[in-house]
Amino acid sequence: MFEPQPMTKVIIAGSKDYMNIAVDAMHKHDVVHIADFVDEDEDFKIGKPDERITNLSERAVSIRSIASYLNIKGKEDIPNKYPEGAIIDTIDAKTKQLDFEVKQVTNSISEIESKIKDVKDKKRLLEPLKSFDLPLDLYTGYRSLAVFVGTLKGSLTISDITSDYELETVPYGRGHAIALFVPREFEDEVLKRLQEQSYAALPLSEMEGIPKDILANLDAQLTELQSEKQKHEEDVADVRQKYIEYILASDEYLSIETQKAEAPLRFATTKNAFIVEGWVPTKDLEPVQRDMDRATNGHVIVAVDTSEAEDVEKVPVALKNPLPSRPLEVLIKAFSIPKYDEIDPTTLMTFMYPFLFGIMLGDIGYGAVVIALGLLVSRRVKSKGIRDLAVIGIYAGVLSIIFGFIFNEFFGVEVFGNRGLLTFIQYPVIPRLDNVLILLIATLVIGLLMLSLGFVLGFVNEYRQHGLKHAVFAKVSWLCMLWGGVLVITLILPPLTSRTGIQLSVGLVGGLAVAVIGFVLLIMGEGVIGIAELPSLLSNVLSYSRLLSIGISSAGIALAVNKLSYALFLSKGGVFIIFGALMLLVGHAVNTVLGILDSGLQALRLHYVEFFTKFYRGGGIKYKPFGFERKYTEEK
Amino acid sequence: MVNPEAAGLIALSAAIAVSATGIAAALGEQVIGSAAIGVMAEDEGFFGRGLVMTVIPESIVIFGLVVALILLFVALPSV
Repeated sequence: MFEPQPMTKVIIAGSKDYMNIAVDAMHKHDVVHIADFVDEDEDFKIGKPDERITNLSERAVSIRSIASYLNIKGKEDIPNKYPEGAIIDTIDAKTKQLDFEVKQVTNSISEIESKIKDVKDKKRLLEPLKSFDLPLDLYTGYRSLAVFVGTLKGSLTISDITSDYELETVPYGRGHAIALFVPREFEDEVLKRLQEQSYAALPLSEMEGIPKDILANLDAQLTELQSEKQKHEEDVADVRQKYIEYILASDEYLSIETQKAEAPLRFATTKNAFIVEGWVPTKDLEPVQRDMDRATNGHVIVAVDTSEAEDVEKVPVALKNPLPSRPLEVLIKAFSIPKYDEIDPTTLMTFMYPFLFGIMLGDIGYGAVVIALGLLVSRRVKSKGIRDLAVIGIYAGVLSIIFGFIFNEFFGVEVFGNRGLLTFIQYPVIPRLDNVLILLIATLVIGLLMLSLGFVLGFVNEYRQHGLKHAVFAKVSWLCMLWGGVLVITLILPPLTSRTGIQLSVGLVGGLAVAVIGFVLLIMGEGVIGIAELPSLLSNVLSYSRLLSIGISSAGIALAVNKLSYALFLSKGGVFIIFGALMLLVGHAVNTVLGILDSGLQALRLHYVEFFTKFYRGGGIKYKPFGFERKYTEEK
Repeated sequence: MVNPEAAGLIALSAAIAVSATGIAAALGEQVIGSAAIGVMAEDEGFFGRGLVMTVIPESIVIFGLVVALILLFVALPSV
């Protein structure tokens, strides 16, 4: 619960002839965390990948290119898993057949696409000439006439050059489309004039007939081509439907085989033998040993290595928590994975995170919304990380409702009077806006308790890692200063505020003494530099006052929404009730989003910054077993 | 309320305590936040520690808030 999964260091060694069988066995169990071999020397070399690797990669490339043609992303769900044996026997023939089918369809699609592009190009050329009724072949082939067909940005006058011309113009786009006939001798001069108006000539080749007719013809062609393309696209969808299971399964199969073929790159090998260093969760050790023995007829051994067991830095960490706590592991991993000999705070966080969140949100209505959202997301979303967050949301929502009863808030309304909902159970109701000072002190007490817990856990960690003396210097010192300081402050603050003299009491002297002892321990442990850390103790405790301030602002906004919608709309009746309801809906929706974000982040911060820094460093190595989580294939 | 002038000054002080510390915290977080996002672009595992560092200056505004709350709920009723 507070410890990660116990690990055993193993050495797997045997003859190279049995290496592939051993790799298969390891892969099947999916429990061995291989420590990569890096220090090559004369005797031990890094292993070479299996020779199948080239073949496997080639196949993988062709399968993946087919998958991308067919828009298969690898996240699809398929109803049945594909038996691995069926892939192994047929992969070559089937991939070839598939490749052929896909290429056939995609080739005809790209052929059609290039035809479509041709037609569209022609259409674009002819578009400006749509309203000229002259057949295209009459624009070219004159000996004494120069013809200009194209588009202009501005307008054109050439009457000062010659009066002997024929000009057709229609507005086109932002300028004009023109067809201009002039005698050859004026060609250069007219061209210059045209260029001043950004003339762009239209290359009219290989087309005959009147532009309008050609365009109509092109449109018909285009429609036909597009329907043909659609037909082929349906064919692609058919191929996709037919082969999707096979493609996903064979891609997975190839990934697995590639992973196995590359495994020797992590092994140490000699001429005839191979050695793998790794870690196995202690509970899984025995089955691996047994299976390896059976598969290789005793030629590969899985031996427990106790020589390096002390070196905890290198042990991979697999978190081990009861099922209800597992979603919280997301928050721990976001900070850092614990070291192997460190306390795993996940289980504690399962209680404390929703607790802090609940105090801040503290509203029956908002809590119910959070639970509803959490349920919705955990049902609908596939991503595991998001689903975990949704479950955390559900926990937090439950606590928000509980605190909602205590603070007597339902969407900011005091629903149950001052007595609480359950009239037959008398419990104190503490409306937040009326009890600021009491609640402020309560939040500081929560802070004190959480920090103390942090120091105690820190003591345990330090004791395990560096021994008792260090643990006392590093953690007991802070505990003494914290509680000594608290005692002193609670005894001198009331007389200070009421301006009566400070009474010397046993508590005061005791508190001072404890604080001084803590201070001395700190100086002994960390030197004078420790003094620089002192103010953080005060700021850490005060930091917990955000539990109240975030809560009050959330309750304040809810109250404002309610009062405004009543004063502006609801009190007037009639149609205004609709507006009022709308305002309530929008206002509370916004406040819910704000409340979830703020409470969620601040609760996280109180853990990460104030709580974790007292005991938790993290930086462990993540446990990554050698294996594969099969989604589409079934082991043979 | 015996003394409206004193009450007004107390309310103003509370406002200053919250707003000035808010601006101060924002200035601090601005620098740290952009640096943290920069590191996260390189290494996503930095999220947790990045968040921790980014919110450290936020304590300033919480102190401001505590001062304001004490001013409003403890000092104000007594004038």
